[in-house]
Amino acid sequence: MTLQAAARLTEILLALALIQQSLEHLVRFRSEQVLFGVRIVLCGLVLAGIAAPWPLFGLAGLSVLILYRFEGPYNGGSDRMGLLALWCLTAARLLPTPALQELAFGYLGAQLILSYFISGGVKIVNPDWRSGRALADVFRFSAYPVSETLRAWADRPRVLLAMSWAVMGFELIFPLTLVWKPALIAGLVVAGTFHLANACLFGLNRFFWTWLAVYPAILWLQGRLFH
Amino acid sequence: MRSPLTLLLPALIPSWNFFDVIAPSPRVEYARLRSIGDTAGDWKAFRPKPQRLSPLEMLTRLVWNPRWNESLFLVSCAERLGDDETAHSEAEIFKRIAADVVREPQDAERPWLCFRVIFVSRVGEALVDEVQYQPAPRLLSGIAVA
Repeated sequence: MTLQAAARLTEILLALALIQQSLEHLVRFRSEQVLFGVRIVLCGLVLAGIAAPWPLFGLAGLSVLILYRFEGPYNGGSDRMGLLALWCLTAARLLPTPALQELAFGYLGAQLILSYFISGGVKIVNPDWRSGRALADVFRFSAYPVSETLRAWADRPRVLLAMSWAVMGFELIFPLTLVWKPALIAGLVVAGTFHLANACLFGLNRFFWTWLAVYPAILWLQGRLFH
Repeated sequence: MRSPLTLLLPALIPSWNFFDVIAPSPRVEYARLRSIGDTAGDWKAFRPKPQRLSPLEMLTRLVWNPRWNESLFLVSCAERLGDDETAHSEAEIFKRIAADVVREPQDAERPWLCFRVIFVSRVGEALVDEVQYQPAPRLLSGIAVA
């Protein structure tokens, strides 16, 4: 995949993810309807490829206004990945030389790898994660389980121990998949399934669409580094 | 109010330390009060979770999840209150509670609205609740919900 093709695919997937998020804001307050209505229009222009790259630059500028409106990301990590993707794509369009454009887009791919690897690293050094207790606490009292019935999972220590090590193991070995494209594709399928499970169990639907949008960047980076 | 650069920088240089520790978890409760000094409020959980969700409902939320995502934003606001970033977070929580409360049957005898943030944590094998933040009540009619 060429840089242009990968960046364009990422733009399209990100625009779709941002439209999905923005539609959710249209049902609430007027000030949010204005901000997110404008974002939907700009995403539509990105999807249609009209007036490129200006709608992308507009989205980057608007993202700062939205950050200002909520004094930070509206939905934590998923919004941060969306912002990172948006600004890397904008830089890749804006920078003057192919090498710098590759650097900007490659940074996005590298951050995707780090998003898994660092998440695994910070968990495995915590004894509560290694014993399965941390995941039990997530189910028992965190704000994330989408229903009260799911809290009963906290009382399945063996299942949670296995799940904890599966998550940590996958996150830590994910960078190794970069050396062989079929392994990377398999890794991304597992990662996508992981995000799907998080969306169903913890309501983190924005993570699913945003991380999916960035997958072309890592597929391009793999080809760029190992071919 | 933080500068745009300090808001954007954590996204451009992310830390990715998701769930590194399972910190005390905030719950937002609200009450309608007779007066600003009323202490006999009937506290209710704001947006309690459903008892169960069907697989179809979970999958539907993949593409349409505004209430849950707003609840997660309120969790962020409640955590910021714990970090002493009060004015914006307090106003956001009041506004979003008020927007729901104005749809309930009106109670002219209880024109004041208040909320409190309870942090739940595990101490040993027991779960403990602690009220960590409770602002001054506001008149429900004075909170802009448009």
